[in-house]
Parts: sequence; C-alpha cells; structure tokens
Amino acid sequence: MEKQPVIQIKNLTKIYRDFWGRKKVRALNSLSLEVKKGEVFGLLGPNGSGKTTTMKLLLGLLFPTEGEINVLGKPASDVSKNEWIGYLPEESYLYRFLNAEETLDFYGRLFDMSAQQRKERANQLIEKVGLQNARKRQLKEYSKGMTRRIGLAQALINDPDLVLLDEPTSGLDPLGSRDMKDLIVKLRDEGKSVVMCSHLLADVQDVCDRIAILYAGELKELGSVEDLLKEQHETELLTSKLSPEAVIDIEAVLAKHNAKLLRHGHPTNSLEDLFLKTVQKSQERPGQRYVPTGSEKT
Amino acid sequence: MTFDHAPFLFGPALLHWVLVFGCFAGIVFSVSVLIALGVYGASGPTAVMGRVWQGLHDFLGISPRRIWAISLLTIKEAVRRKALFVFVVFASLVMFAGWFLESDLRADLQVKNAVSFALTTISWLTLPVVLLLSCWGLPEDIRLRSIHTIVTKPVRRNEIVMGRILGFSIVASLIVSMMGVVGYVWIRRQVPNNAELICRVPVYGELSFLDREGNLTDKGVNTGDIWEFRSYVEGGTRSSAVYKFPMDKVTDNVRFESRFEAFRTHKGRIGQSLLVRYVLVNPTKGLRVPLGSFEVAEFGLNEKDVDRQISFFDEDKNDNRTVDLFDDVVDQNTLTVEVQCLDAGQYLGMARPDMFIRMPDRSFVVGYFKAVVGVLLLSIFLISIGVTSSTFVKGPVSILLTFTVLLVGQGFREFMLKLITGEQKGGGPIESWYRLITHMNDTLQLPDNFGVKLMQSIDNLFMGGLWLVQHLIPDLSYFVMSPYVANGFDVPWSTAMAKCIAMTVGYLVPCLLVGYYSLTLRELEAK
Ligand SMILES: Nc1ncnc2c1ncn2[C@@H]1O[C@H](COP(=O)(O)OP(=O)(O)OP(=O)(O)O)[C@@H](O)[C@H]1O
Ligand SMILES: [Mg+2]
Repeated sequence: MEKQPVIQIKNLTKIYRDFWGRKKVRALNSLSLEVKKGEVFGLLGPNGSGKTTTMKLLLGLLFPTEGEINVLGKPASDVSKNEWIGYLPEESYLYRFLNAEETLDFYGRLFDMSAQQRKERANQLIEKVGLQNARKRQLKEYSKGMTRRIGLAQALINDPDLVLLDEPTSGLDPLGSRDMKDLIVKLRDEGKSVVMCSHLLADVQDVCDRIAILYAGELKELGSVEDLLKEQHETELLTSKLSPEAVIDIEAVLAKHNAKLLRHGHPTNSLEDLFLKTVQKSQERPGQRYVPTGSEKT
Repeated sequence: MTFDHAPFLFGPALLHWVLVFGCFAGIVFSVSVLIALGVYGASGPTAVMGRVWQGLHDFLGISPRRIWAISLLTIKEAVRRKALFVFVVFASLVMFAGWFLESDLRADLQVKNAVSFALTTISWLTLPVVLLLSCWGLPEDIRLRSIHTIVTKPVRRNEIVMGRILGFSIVASLIVSMMGVVGYVWIRRQVPNNAELICRVPVYGELSFLDREGNLTDKGVNTGDIWEFRSYVEGGTRSSAVYKFPMDKVTDNVRFESRFEAFRTHKGRIGQSLLVRYVLVNPTKGLRVPLGSFEVAEFGLNEKDVDRQISFFDEDKNDNRTVDLFDDVVDQNTLTVEVQCLDAGQYLGMARPDMFIRMPDRSFVVGYFKAVVGVLLLSIFLISIGVTSSTFVKGPVSILLTFTVLLVGQGFREFMLKLITGEQKGGGPIESWYRLITHMNDTLQLPDNFGVKLMQSIDNLFMGGLWLVQHLIPDLSYFVMSPYVANGFDVPWSTAMAKCIAMTVGYLVPCLLVGYYSLTLRELEAK
C-alpha cells in the first residue's frame, strides 16, 4: 500500500552564485527524496546544511541548478500548485504595518476567498494560534513568538493539503511549541502532509513519521523515526528493577545462547544520539552518504 | 509656446506603437533565443518558447481580486508610511505663497502666475513622492523577504507588478486630487477682482497662402525675419493667407480671434495700424464674402464676431446680398477664410496657431482639472517605469533610472532627434567613415558592389536601432498642461489629453511585460 508522493525530489543540486555568476556555495548536492501523502516529514541537519534551501526550492523561490522537483504533481515553478500549499518561512516576513486581522484578510484575498470566508477563517485561525488579544495590533509591535503565531495562521489560511514549516517551534514558549506539535499531529490526522525542519530534536521525534538528515547539502540518513532509532543488531529488554543476582542469572542464560549483556540501565537511544552520531560520522568520513535500500526507493 | 500640436489620430498612433513595440519585442526575443542557444544548446530555444507560452498563460489567467489585494496592500503601506503627508506640505506652501507672488502686476498676469504656481507646485510635490514610493516598494519587499509570503500563494508575478502599479496610481490620484482641490480654492481667492478665470476653446485650421498673383503656395513671403515661424502676405495685392477651419456644429455666431504681426517697409499713416480684411470663401460655389476691414491690433488680440446671416456688397453682381454662414459659405464642413492686408507695401505675418475660431468658453474648473489630470497621468507613467525598473534593480538605482527617463523625456528628446536626423546625410556611420577616408563627398555615387551593399545594410541596421531608441524615448512635455490653463485656454482633448492617455497606456503594456519577466526569471533573494 504505497501512498502516492506529494513531493518528489530527484538529484537536486543547488549552487548559490554571486552577482557575476561565480559559484559561491554548493548548498545542496544531488539530493533525492520523496514525501508521501499524509505523513509528517522532518528535515534535520546542522546550521547551514541546506534545509531552508530545500524548502525554497520546493516552493519555486529558488531555481535548481540541476535536478527535478515535483510538488503535488506539478513542477516547482508552477504557481497554481500554491493553491494547496501553506508555507511558514524561517523568519516571519510579514507586512509590519498590518494588524493580525488585516494580515489574514490580505492573504485570504490572494486565494480568491470571499469576504465572508475570509472573515470566518481569520477568526478561526486567530483563535487557533492564540492571538485573540492582539488581533488589532500592528505586527511591528509583536514579539517574536507572536510573529511566529501569526505566520503560522497565515500559512494555514487556505486550509492547505501540504504544509511546509521552516523551524515551526523556534521562538515559541513551551506552551506554544506544545500547541504547535499538537497542531501538526492534528493536520496529519486530517490527512494533510507536513514537511518541517527543525533543530529541536525532541519536537521532531515527537511528531515526525519519517526524517531525513542533511549534512553540508548531502543526504546522510533517511527513514522512519522508529526504524532509524532501532538498533538492528541489538535487542532491548525492559524489566522492573533487577537485583544483582538476577543480572548474573540473565548473563548466564545469554551465554548459553551465545549472546552477551552489553549494557544494562536506562535504554536511551534518542534521536539526539542518532543526530550527533550522524554528524560526527559525516565529519570523520565526508564522502559517505545515504544509500537507498530496497524498501526506500528514491 | 504654441498651443497647437498635431491632433492625435488613434489609427496611425496604434500602428506606430505596434511597429515600435514589435521591433523591441522582436529584438528582445531573438537575443534571448540566441543567448539560450549559446548557454543551453539545442534545448535553449525550446525553453524560451516555453517561457513565452507560460507568460501568455499567466497574462490570460490574471485574477482581479488578487491584483486588487496587492493594490490595497500598496495603498495601506503608502498611507501608513505617511505618504499623504506631502499634501500637508502642499497646503502650507499654498497658504503662504500668496505673500510671495507679486500682486502689483497686470490682472491677467496675476491670474497666469497663480495658476502656474498652483499647477507647478502640485507636480513638483507629487512627482518626487511618486518616484520614491514606486521605486522603493518592491525592492524593500524583496529585501525584507515579505514577498516570499506572496509568491508562495497562487499569485502570478504579473499580478504583483499590476497590483503595485495600480496601488501607487491610486495613491497618486489621492494626493493629486486633494492638492487639486486645495489649489483650485486658492486660485479662486488669489484672483484679483478685476480679472476673471477663463477657459477658451479654440478651433484651429489649416493654413496655406496665395501669392500676389493669387496662386496657391505653402509659404508666404519671407521678410528676412530670422525666425521663420511666421509667413507674410503682401499688402494691396491678391496675396493672402488661407485658413480652412473644420466646422461641424451650427451656431448663431462665430468669433474669430487672431494675433498678426505687422512688417512695415514704409511708415504709412502715422498712428494707424495696418488694415486687414477677412474674406469668407466657398470655393465650390465660387462665393466670396468680404467682411468689413479692421485695424490690426499689433500687440494684442483681434476679435471679430460674425453673425450667421451676413449682409455684404457683392462686387460681381454690384448688389447687396445676404447669405447664411452655414448654408451658403461652409463647404463640406470646412469654413475657408482668406486674410488680406489692405495697405500696399506693408506685410502681415501669421502662422497656423495665430488665428482660431473661439468656441463658447468652458468653465475654468474643467480646464484646470484637466491639467491636474495631466499631472496624474505623468505620475502614472513614472509609476509604471519606477515599478518596472524596481523589479530588476535596487531602490536607489531604480530611482536614478526613472529620474533619467523623466529628464530625457522632458528635453533631451529634441537633441536625440537632431542627432539622428542630422546623421542622415552621407549615409550611416560606416558609410560616412568610408567616405571620409576615401575623400568622397556625400553626393558622389558609391560603386555598386557587395562591400558597399554590406556596408549599407549594416548602416541601415544601425539607423534602425537609433530609430527604435528615439521612438522608445517618450516626449513627456505633453504632460505639462499648465501653460494652456495659465494662458486662459482649455486643454484640448485631441492634441493633449488623448496623447497623454495613449502614451501612458502605450508604455504601461511593455512595462508590465518587462516587470513580469524580470520577476519571473530572478530568484527573489536579497542579493
Ligand atoms: N541567498 C544565499 N546566497 C548565498 N548562499 C546562501 C544563500 N542562502 C543560503 N546560502 C548558503 O547555503 C547553505 C545552506 O543554507 P540554508 O539556509 O539552506 O541552511 P539551513 O539548513 O536552513 O540552516 P539553518 O539551520 O541555520 O536554518 C549555507 O551554506 C548558506 O550559507
Ligand atoms: Mg534554515
């Protein structure tokens, strides 16, 4: 039951050039991946690894140097696909002289929504992102988190099928980021696809179905969160507290089966470990990259 | 200045526009295909065609609602950035300007000064604001990346350009109309009691001449005046100036107004001006109706009213006759008037705009607000250029560019024209070099061989390029309509308003195209 992809990226390379056309930065190097319908996909990577670049390429804000991008079955340069896309930029670049209501009204107009629809939707979203008390204030007076919230509302104005969130939880208070994560999960439950990038690994671990880890523009890991965190060569047992004797007994049983107790204690293979390990490995052996296995066709 | 330009004809103007625009578009297209071929090889031209196709698609699929959304945003931005503040500046300028305008002048000069001052101030205050706003908006939008939230919605890039231009135009209309109203009230209060605000509506005719034997010529006598604007008719001969006025409305009375110049070869009678006579002619019927002669006002205006029923002494029939101006004299909607000088040995000089039929006056408000609309049209023109240039360069550069267009359009065009037409003699640049080096003068025939043909075709291309450049430069002096109003004339529709509207629209279309493509082909990252 392969779900159809909402995003297909093939051999995507992006080289930033300066004014004179000279090559400056190779931000992405032959990236290939797919995002399926109805999943929450996380893009991870250290600063400057090309996450935002990938998002902008998906939206047609940047033009690829090489490679193919398909979003909702259309090339990235086709603006008509934007009808079903919501985008929260890395920093909320909104119009600072508008207030929250005007902002949502403006973006609603860009979707050819009627006045009635715009009003309803704006009220609903202001409620959703918790800006009821600031709806009449101009955005230039907003704090960072408030700006993030209105940015999110703006991204959802058209009830999109595909939501691209560039660091959705940055700048939000714990409550806000909890809300954000709930919202993402809710979007998935409604059958929407979400692509997000983030540094906050706990957030990613909480909500993402699959993740990709980028390092210096190259894909280093790709797969479902569960699979990636599961150590294939180890088995994990979770028991109630054991007495030292019990541990010795278990070791004896294991020895009988030709196995060894490696470690006992709290089993924490968190995403953080994986992330750090991947980055470390990439630093040590720069040439190595993610190779798709049979199940992960890219 | 002369108030008499050639009338605007839609057909030829459109043809001309299509020609210039077609050449321009053709060149841009061919150059892009060539570049694409060079850079991307065989797939290049296909890609260019794809872009053209996509562009067509985007222009057909524009949504008025999205354009209006962006216009609204633009207006809000301008208002909240306090662009309308310039109106306050205007109001206070005007409030105190009365102190500095001379009030001991002749009444009509006072009127002229007041009207000129108001209209000039309106344009001098509006244009910089418009220039700044329109050139700054998009680059700022790109720099702050707020444009990212717009282009990731289903917005076509041409809608952004259109919305911006429309929005700024509305802001300009707001500013200009507020200033216009305040200016009008101020002029009303500024007018001295013994003067009035008038708005004359002239109808100009075609001018030709008859020489002393009565034969038709283009030009009259040259009296040696360095300025060849006026031609002269010789007094006491059959020599006369023939004005043919278009007449399509029947009225009870027709008023001729004229300013003629006298050129004397002898003193004549001291203290008396030259005697002038109008003869109304119907060439088809062979009817000649001489009107009573009058002394020409040498430094002023001659006004002559003619009733519809004209009684005159018919010299041929030796009898008094009465004719109807419209039934008998006007022939094929044309009224022909011969102007004769009756003093032998003296000369009377005139040019086409020196005589006109004065139609019933319009209200001053009409003429005044037409001139205000002129300022608005110029603003819209500059907005189109400004917004378009700001799609590919940053704010300051865009301002410089648009300002240059304004400067060049105001005066530089004449110079370009001379340059281009002056070069015609002796062929294009290559041919003239060839002639220079081989010491051939420009009347000698060149040999007929391949080299010469090649040389001439390159020259033709070059001259074609110059022709295009010359026609791409707008003549913005048409937009300045205050002289009409200040001198008590209406702003004519055909020779001024229609031209400016056509020019604004004519430049708007290529601007939209250029703006669309430069926004589509560039990455909207601040560089
Ligand atoms: N407009 C630009 N011009 C030149 N180089 C750029 C531009 N934008 C990004 N880059 C470069 O491309 C690389 C990837 O940048 P990108 O913004 O995609 O990283 P990121 O993964 O989003 O990082 P962060 O976690 O800090 O947001 C970086 O080396 C960056 O310097
Ligand atoms: Mg980023």
